[in-house]
Amino acid sequence: MSDAASPDGGPGQAGPAARFADAVVRYRWIFLALSLALVAVSVSKIGNIWPPDPSARIFFAEENPDRQALDAYEAAFSKDDNLSVVIVPEDGAVFTPDTIALIGEITEEAWRLPFVRRVDSLTNFQHSFADEEGLVVRDLVEEPADVTPEEAAEIARLAMERLEIVDLLVAPAQDVTQVNILFTLPEVKPTEEVPTIVREVRAMVERVEAEHPVEIRLTGGIMINNQFATSGQEDSQNLLGPMFLVILLVVGLSLRSAFATLAVLILITLSAATGLGAAGWFGYRLNSVTVLAPLYIMTLAVASAVHVFSACRAAMPDTGDRKEWVRRALSEHAGAIVIACVTTAIGFYSLNFSISPPFRQLGNTVGTGVLAALFFTLFLLPGLIITMPMRRQRSAEREPRAMRALADFVVGRRRMIAPVMIGVVALLAAGTSQLKLEDDFLRYFDERYEFRQDTDFTEERLTGVNVLYFALPAGGDQAINDPVFLKETAAFADWLRTQPEVAHVATLTDTIKRLTMNMNGDDPAFFRLPDTEEAAAQYLFLYELSLGYGRDLTDQINIDRSALRVSVALGRQTTAEMRDVTLRAGQWLQQNAPTIQTAWEAENPERPLVTPTGVVHVFNLISFRDVRAMLSGTALALVLISGVIMLALRSVRIGLISLVPNLIPAAMAFGIWGYSVGAVTLAIAVVLAATLGIVVDDTVHFLSKYQAGRRKGLSPEDSVRHAFTRVGNALVITSVGLVAGFCVLALSGFAVNGDMAKLTAITITVALIADFLLLPCLLIFLDKRRETMTLKPATAALLLAAIAVPALTLAPEARADDAEAKGLAIAEAADKRDLGFEAFTVDGEMILRDKAGNESRRVFESLTLERQDRAVGDLGIIVFTRPRDIRGTGLLTHANIEPQDDDQWLYLPAVKRVKRISSSNRTGKFVGSEFSYEDLGSQEVDDYTYKWLRDEPCPGAEELTCHVVESYPKNTKSGYSKRVGWTDVAEYRQYKVEFYNRRGDLEKILTYSGYNEYDGYWRADKLAMQNLQSGKETDLLFTEYDFSASLSDGDFDPNRLPQMAR
Amino acid sequence: MRLVAPRVRRAAAFGLVTALATTAVSAADLSPTNFEFFGELELEGTVFFEDPQFAQQERDGASIAGQFTVLSEWMDGDLALRFTPFARADIVDDERTNGDIREAKVDYITGPWSIRVGVDTIFWGKTEAFHLVDIVNQTDLVEDIDAEDRLGQPMIRIGRLTNVGEFSAFYFPYQRIRRFPGPEGRLRFALPVNTDNPIFETDAERFTPSFALRYSGFVGPVDLGLHVFHGLGRDPSFIPDAEADELLAVYQRITQGGVDLQFTSGATLWKLEALVRGGEKNTLFEDELFGAFTGGIEHTLFGILGTSYDLGLIAEYAFDSRGDEALTNFQNDVIVGGRFTLNDVSDTEVLLTSAVDTQKGEVGLRLEAERRIGSRFSAAVEGVGFLNQDADSFAGSFAEDSFLRLKLKFFF
Repeated sequence: MSDAASPDGGPGQAGPAARFADAVVRYRWIFLALSLALVAVSVSKIGNIWPPDPSARIFFAEENPDRQALDAYEAAFSKDDNLSVVIVPEDGAVFTPDTIALIGEITEEAWRLPFVRRVDSLTNFQHSFADEEGLVVRDLVEEPADVTPEEAAEIARLAMERLEIVDLLVAPAQDVTQVNILFTLPEVKPTEEVPTIVREVRAMVERVEAEHPVEIRLTGGIMINNQFATSGQEDSQNLLGPMFLVILLVVGLSLRSAFATLAVLILITLSAATGLGAAGWFGYRLNSVTVLAPLYIMTLAVASAVHVFSACRAAMPDTGDRKEWVRRALSEHAGAIVIACVTTAIGFYSLNFSISPPFRQLGNTVGTGVLAALFFTLFLLPGLIITMPMRRQRSAEREPRAMRALADFVVGRRRMIAPVMIGVVALLAAGTSQLKLEDDFLRYFDERYEFRQDTDFTEERLTGVNVLYFALPAGGDQAINDPVFLKETAAFADWLRTQPEVAHVATLTDTIKRLTMNMNGDDPAFFRLPDTEEAAAQYLFLYELSLGYGRDLTDQINIDRSALRVSVALGRQTTAEMRDVTLRAGQWLQQNAPTIQTAWEAENPERPLVTPTGVVHVFNLISFRDVRAMLSGTALALVLISGVIMLALRSVRIGLISLVPNLIPAAMAFGIWGYSVGAVTLAIAVVLAATLGIVVDDTVHFLSKYQAGRRKGLSPEDSVRHAFTRVGNALVITSVGLVAGFCVLALSGFAVNGDMAKLTAITITVALIADFLLLPCLLIFLDKRRETMTLKPATAALLLAAIAVPALTLAPEARADDAEAKGLAIAEAADKRDLGFEAFTVDGEMILRDKAGNESRRVFESLTLERQDRAVGDLGIIVFTRPRDIRGTGLLTHANIEPQDDDQWLYLPAVKRVKRISSSNRTGKFVGSEFSYEDLGSQEVDDYTYKWLRDEPCPGAEELTCHVVESYPKNTKSGYSKRVGWTDVAEYRQYKVEFYNRRGDLEKILTYSGYNEYDGYWRADKLAMQNLQSGKETDLLFTEYDFSASLSDGDFDPNRLPQMAR
Repeated sequence: MRLVAPRVRRAAAFGLVTALATTAVSAADLSPTNFEFFGELELEGTVFFEDPQFAQQERDGASIAGQFTVLSEWMDGDLALRFTPFARADIVDDERTNGDIREAKVDYITGPWSIRVGVDTIFWGKTEAFHLVDIVNQTDLVEDIDAEDRLGQPMIRIGRLTNVGEFSAFYFPYQRIRRFPGPEGRLRFALPVNTDNPIFETDAERFTPSFALRYSGFVGPVDLGLHVFHGLGRDPSFIPDAEADELLAVYQRITQGGVDLQFTSGATLWKLEALVRGGEKNTLFEDELFGAFTGGIEHTLFGILGTSYDLGLIAEYAFDSRGDEALTNFQNDVIVGGRFTLNDVSDTEVLLTSAVDTQKGEVGLRLEAERRIGSRFSAAVEGVGFLNQDADSFAGSFAEDSFLRLKLKFFF
């Protein structure tokens, strides 16, 4: 019986595998001792890994630029972790004497917690007002214990008019309040500080809830950090039992031997221990991801052991000699087992490319554990089998009839199976476009956790828990008192408050406005920013003098007073929405806050847009960054694994073929996930690399048996049958075992672990199907063609498709990231004048004129239908009538809002064909004219951002006044850096547009003339485009405007284009 | 030289009767809201690089062709009549001297419904090189071997537009037969095909009715087409007629289902066509259920090298599960090519493709270039090269037939 590592080896011949088997059997005691020594050495440092690290920040690598920005911010301001004690009075009223007394009590007690830096509550809110002597700043409630109902009502009135309180400390309904405690952790004993705080807070909560009719909920940074530690512990405790049970069940049922099952359990336990021990040597502390590493190792280690046992079982009827069982098993299977384990390890080691340290640690721990499992399978397991009193089963194993039938089915029907499978693969792979990266780290934990319930409650009833920090630079030391800067900051805060995603905005400008009012005798008319720098500085100085202990402004102003913090609590949003509001904020500042923008650009030359920071922000971008980082890791793993297969099976060809069943399962699994779930955490970045090494095992086993069949002279069809009957059952058993194991891991309440396990389980299942259905077809197909075949483009094409499918998924995500970096503007104001025309048709003529004055003409008809929905653009058809050779050529456009490409179809009358075409060409010249595609495409308001420059007489119609407006294209593919347009004040008619190219030079001028009014809509008869760079001109002449045309959506369906184009 | 072949007469009569009938009905109503007449004339010269392989064949060729369209519309275009006859006279090949009615149809659209009666040419499919699922019209192989020219097909079609696309039902009362070059023509098989006496494996012969259902629509970036077809196949099998040294084309009743799909992602178009067909006889003249697909990508590089030129890259693969027994030449072929568009005033465009048979290594090269001259003329160059041909295959008969063709067209 030949095998991968010993093509000509086997019983009776001294191939390398057989000699290796002999050695293992002979020196088994030495190997037993060696194994135990290996375990002992590796576990000697296992103590280092416990307890888990209580921090969400373990996911941030040092080289992650978002983390660097966060570190810089925290160095300049303060690094705090907060804990929200959310108080829900049972009578539903915050402003009662009892509740106010309780708030005061909790505020007082909070001060006694370890590492506390500051406590903010309703009672100690710094209330400022004016009296005869000047400014008074005091606690809002000075004696919380002795408040009368009348005083409570007065407190309610004062509190509910403060922006700083509503939506943050007290809900607008006045039924929920919070005490916000800030801690500065010394980080001396990181694993103890957070648990200590949580323990003491919980004790306080328990007592308060016993004594008062209130419900207390806890959330905030401290709680989430604590959750990262405890969920890992819970996972490891809750999942270990089921995992053992599943392994017992799968192994027990398939091997039907108590001793064999025991041997497997010993083997996997030792492998897991060695893997964890290695983590100790690497200096890793466990975290919520790596805590599952031993379970991964166990799941993966089972497969190799099962292969050895089933080989032993096959040898049992022939001989009662245990040593002979082992010899045969090893000489037949050692090669495949080595390849399987090494490729799995390579897959996991490639996680080192991840940008999240927990995944690197998981990769190294599991990779090492799998290699340990390989060692134990080859050297320890044989000894165990020989030593243990395992019962010999004399009956020959039943011929795997099911496998035989499956083989016949696949071989017989391959001409149907292959196209069907390819269709299924394509269909499923298309689902990858549905994937959405979703990294709300608060919701990494599912609803079974109290923390998650409390957080959801808080976001729903009180305020946002996810907070973004904008550190707005003022442009110099002490510059924050500059009135212009303060004005921009205040305007920014006001703009933020109008955004639907924002729950609460905290900014010092609110306090300064209040102080201005106080200094002017509490006159509400003076609730505004001071006019001079001196006044602002003076008010702030007075205010700071009056503040109590721990209430300084260091977390709102940096040390050299050159930057101000605006903190934005976001409501419950998806990651995409949070990224979007971040981007919009940056763009708003670029457009509306020149002082801040200039200062920012001076400090951050590589980031054109003001970007916030905060743990949330780093998580928002982490999947993007990780997907990109893992691309190279995955590619490397792919190359290495294919290399191992080529070496082992001594065939470049087989190595290349193996890529198909190895890559396709991941694409299908991602597709299934995309269709069924959609949202995915950063686990997705590492799944491809991790599963690659696992799914490759089935392929290797199948291919090596197929190759053995071919070497024996069997036809491709019979070789496939041979492979099915030899390894089919073992593959099913190991796959079932792996899937069952990962299903247990999928029970984790921590989404990162859960997603990864679920995706892996799906991938393995799909891989088995691909190995059984697709791989045989491929092998037969390629081998039958082989005799005459000199090149193999078919293989190459399939490979290309397999590689391209995942790449396709990543492209749109990468663009979103890029868009942020480029910092293009978002639309602000809109010109609604031209809405409501519904539909019109017009005849057009385009006259192209070169420098020498030579003319050529094109005549066309244009139909436009307005779509009411602002989220989509209008529908349009252009049909050419001259020159005659292009007569009847129709261009149908379903416009979309930038940066999404329009949907476009072209009708070619010569071949009667409607063809969907790419519309991503923005800058190209339309049929050789000076109009580019974007000039002629539908101009939607949201495609640009706008800035008004000035008003002046209209060019070409001096009796009218025109607004001069600059607009910036939102799409990075636009050929322009900006356009300047002249629009008349009365009727909003365009008179002139200047186009500036990407370099910033004036490239083209478009002038409009011959305005007529049609049913209330103004249209120009002539548009003249002059290219200053090339000297060429194009005129567009319009006649026969018809606004009464009856057009419907159906007329703009691609299926009707042949009729419309005539 | 026959200007109008007998088989054309019947088709023409059918078209004319339908046209006249509708004209009569609508004439009572109103004069047309739109009436147009346009067409083109074409002069063509073909130069072959090598001497012919087979006796009777003549070396080079020249021909003249023309077509015109009469378009008449009523009710703002909801009711339209189109009539497009075509004719060609070739100095070498009598088979290439022919006429056809490309269109003679009445279209009526009312709301989401549309009805078409008459002769029409319609296209199904997405890919560039090989049109797998396009079954409605018979291919005209005498015009060109690229299968882009097709014969008008009599039909009744009822379509219903929905917001997910159009569903249509077709009834084809009459079957066109494929045209092949005659004994004198180049680009033919070793034995010429007798197109006057095709064999039909159905009793009604050419009047065997065929039916089809079609869905065509798009969702977001995906354009999808599905169809089923039952009736007389368009692709004939061949049996040699030993007495006359000819091939006889045999048409069978087939049933097929297929899908055509395009995914548009930025500048990249992903395309796939696939079908399963039963009832057709393969080259061994055995009935075989088979599947076939063709698919690939077209990626356009806009404005290459800072110019306004576009370069479209095409890579497609075609597969037929019958392998060597397939009736098509595209049974396991990779097609790569480029479309170079100048985006200039003259709409200059150059298309170069090469199809490689992965099994035998046969290569087919194709070049098409076209440019307008003034406003009424255009010139086109077409070049086809056959390299490394296998004498046993279909295309092997074309081994000596690499050619260069020049066309001058006048539009009116």
